[in-house]
Amino acid sequence: MELSESVRKGLQSLADPTLFDLKTFSVLIELAFRSLLTAHADRSVLDQPELKHIDQKLLKHCHTAATTCILEGVKQNVDKSTISGIVLEIMKIRLKSGGIAHLRQLVGTTTYLCHTCAWRMLGLMQREQMYSTSHTSIGRCPPHINDVSWRLEYLIKNGHVHKVNEPSYLISLNVENTNNGGSTEEVNFSCTMEQLQDLVGKMKDATKSLEKAMQL
Amino acid sequence: MLLVLSDEHKEHLGFLPEVDSAVVGEFGRIAVEFLRKGTNPKIYEGAARKLSVDAETVQHGVEGLMYLLTESSKLMISEVDFQDSVLVLGFTEDLNQLLLQLYLENRKEIRHILGELTPSLPHYHNLEWRLDVQLASRALRQQVKPTVTMKLHLEESGGDKSAKVLQTDPATLMHLIQELEKALAELKTTHCRRILRNIK
Repeated sequence: MELSESVRKGLQSLADPTLFDLKTFSVLIELAFRSLLTAHADRSVLDQPELKHIDQKLLKHCHTAATTCILEGVKQNVDKSTISGIVLEIMKIRLKSGGIAHLRQLVGTTTYLCHTCAWRMLGLMQREQMYSTSHTSIGRCPPHINDVSWRLEYLIKNGHVHKVNEPSYLISLNVENTNNGGSTEEVNFSCTMEQLQDLVGKMKDATKSLEKAMQL
Repeated sequence: MLLVLSDEHKEHLGFLPEVDSAVVGEFGRIAVEFLRKGTNPKIYEGAARKLSVDAETVQHGVEGLMYLLTESSKLMISEVDFQDSVLVLGFTEDLNQLLLQLYLENRKEIRHILGELTPSLPHYHNLEWRLDVQLASRALRQQVKPTVTMKLHLEESGGDKSAKVLQTDPATLMHLIQELEKALAELKTTHCRRILRNIK
């Protein structure tokens, strides 16, 4: 898992006990996960009373670093040892530059960071259904069918032809355009009973081949 | 149900008894051809010259025939009603028979042509499907996401075809099938059968 210099610096600052004590650190990590899981961007996500004493620029940098690290981890589907390894590597650089006085606290913070991140990330991947849906909604795909409505009508006559006397179906597919911010549109078409039977038959064929593929 | 012909219409059709039945047959053929493909004024001039009459008279005659055919086909009147409606024009028995034959042979086709004029939504034509499994994307690696990609072919009443590429997941596909099967089952209920039987 590759992380940029900016992200590494952010994570280093996060692990610095002089900048973030254990409580502040855990609050920020919690916020990082929350801002990735909620659907809407919340501008006031960093306006927490516990974080008020920290320089805002630094706070933003660390929050960004944490969220980037989490996103990369979920994208690559990393395991616990990989996360721990990456975090430890960053902490080693930190250890070299810092003094021995802070070592104990730093080790404590590092271990906490490793375990919290690893555990949370694994927990997150187990909730992959929820998360990867939003992750996979980033990206291009054809319009997605969500629902179908139908109407059965009996056509008696129209302005040009009388005594038509035919039943017909009006089908409306509710389609979501994931590319353009989730706009929905409707695909409407009419069909006779035979055509609808043909449509349903083909959909059933697709389902059957899906079941066969699942059994392989 | 009888056709009510306006005076102007009767006047236009009044030209027909003045010519041979062969010519009337030809006019009938031209009328149906015009209904299929659209009118061609040059034909009127050619016919007018051969018959030594005004082009306008020929035009009225053919148009009168066209209108007679479209109205009869639209209302789907029976043979008897057609004969009674045409009786009012005071034509000979042969001419009446000719007109009746013309009507009976062409009414199905004319109804089909008229049907194309009605406002309608795109009509289902075909569905192609494909099963895909998404393995990775730029945003997320190591996925196993089955999807069904479908190409829905639709046809407008004018003959224009369009195709829409759509995607769905297996669960939604099952739901779609269930809903559409309910729709099909609805046609077989007693309520629908009663309506279909009684409105004829």
